[in-house]
Amino acid sequence: MSGKHGHKPFEGHMHDFEAHIRAVEEDLEYYRAKRFEPRIFYLIRRGVVTFSDLLNARVALKRSNQFFKPRKPQGKNIEARVRYLEEWLDEYVKGIALVSARAVEAMDMVTEDNRKERGDYDDFFRFKKKEHRGTLEERMVSLEQDLTNYQELLEVFVQALIKRGWSTRRELKESWKQLHEERPWAGGVIVAKAWTDPAFKQALLSTGREALREMGVHQGKVGKLVVVENTDKVHNVVVCTLCSCYPYDILGDTPWWYKHESYRTNIVQNPRACVKEMFQLEIPAAKEVQVYDSTSDVRYFVLPQRPAGTEGMSEEELAKLVTVDSLIGAGYALEPSQQKKAMKLGAAPESPRVRPD
Amino acid sequence: MESKFKVGDAVSVASENPTGYPRTPRYIRGKRGVIGLVHGVLENIRDHRGIHNPLYTVRFDLSEVSTCHDQDSIWVDVHEEWLSGVRQDS
Repeated sequence: MSGKHGHKPFEGHMHDFEAHIRAVEEDLEYYRAKRFEPRIFYLIRRGVVTFSDLLNARVALKRSNQFFKPRKPQGKNIEARVRYLEEWLDEYVKGIALVSARAVEAMDMVTEDNRKERGDYDDFFRFKKKEHRGTLEERMVSLEQDLTNYQELLEVFVQALIKRGWSTRRELKESWKQLHEERPWAGGVIVAKAWTDPAFKQALLSTGREALREMGVHQGKVGKLVVVENTDKVHNVVVCTLCSCYPYDILGDTPWWYKHESYRTNIVQNPRACVKEMFQLEIPAAKEVQVYDSTSDVRYFVLPQRPAGTEGMSEEELAKLVTVDSLIGAGYALEPSQQKKAMKLGAAPESPRVRPD
Repeated sequence: MESKFKVGDAVSVASENPTGYPRTPRYIRGKRGVIGLVHGVLENIRDHRGIHNPLYTVRFDLSEVSTCHDQDSIWVDVHEEWLSGVRQDS
């Protein structure tokens, strides 16, 4: 399945096209209005690029010198179109990651600036997100058009960066290649090891990033890591009500619903009702729900309980049972029978990797 | 910088923003909780400029911060300038 990078519904399988389209809509607007376009404004304010640079880059743009492979809507049936849209979105998100990294390297820029300037603390500064209406067909056509337009701005922006000498085509190509390297998803690897190696689990719970460093997990520097363990008595859930802080440097792409207003509001108001409504997860009354509302200084993820019927499974097999949702507390790790079913329906655990700052 | 509070201390959160720095959610302002984790001063240079005061994770009863009466809890990261000690018996 193409939605490897988190653009998937929190419920429903591929046959539930509406849920997939909604996930693409939400993610696309998030990345445009919260990540990419505020970044352009940031750089324009500081003279790193100008509107004229962008206009000139658009005029000079030829098919032969395009950095990104131009795309057109594709797919013979709804399923193929949905899959293609997910792939396309994924390329758009990777593109943003690419240019974001390049454009700020030489600048004294911190994430806090982004949060302020894109309106995380003040609605006044927010970029308006597009609303999606109409039939499924109309919404797909609209997404195809949006992606075409948004991708064009990304292309023009890359050209402007190269023209202004902030990067070279060669450097960008190299980073672009790295963004596409396939690696096993760290979330699954970490949890499977914690399930099978008690000493590692102890270290993970008490030292966080240090335990991951010793394990050789690729990670950045986005705050302290705290791992909270689910037990028979406690079910943990993670949220960031102020923005969308998440240990993306370890777990990859943030699921779209984690960034969504409704989750961020409801989970701290009525956690049980929220996870029941959004994820069909009923947490037993005997467990205390503990919701962790993080800041950028501490990032949390949940160590889910090891599912029944997994005795004797290898770490590699166990890793496949670990879903993104279960690391946020919006689900449990899959039981082996669920995993087989999920694979069959094309909704295997996600393995996200990349997210722009 | 030494952390002023320890795990288990009862605290209340300021109602008004003490420093103009916005990173404390509104729904816990003016509420009472208990120190759950002590993080101390964390360096996070990619995230923000300068050094913040010591950070704590404060445990709130769900019923303290919302209208829901489930026996659950909300754990929120709060910097020290937002917190004041509360006498346990009060």
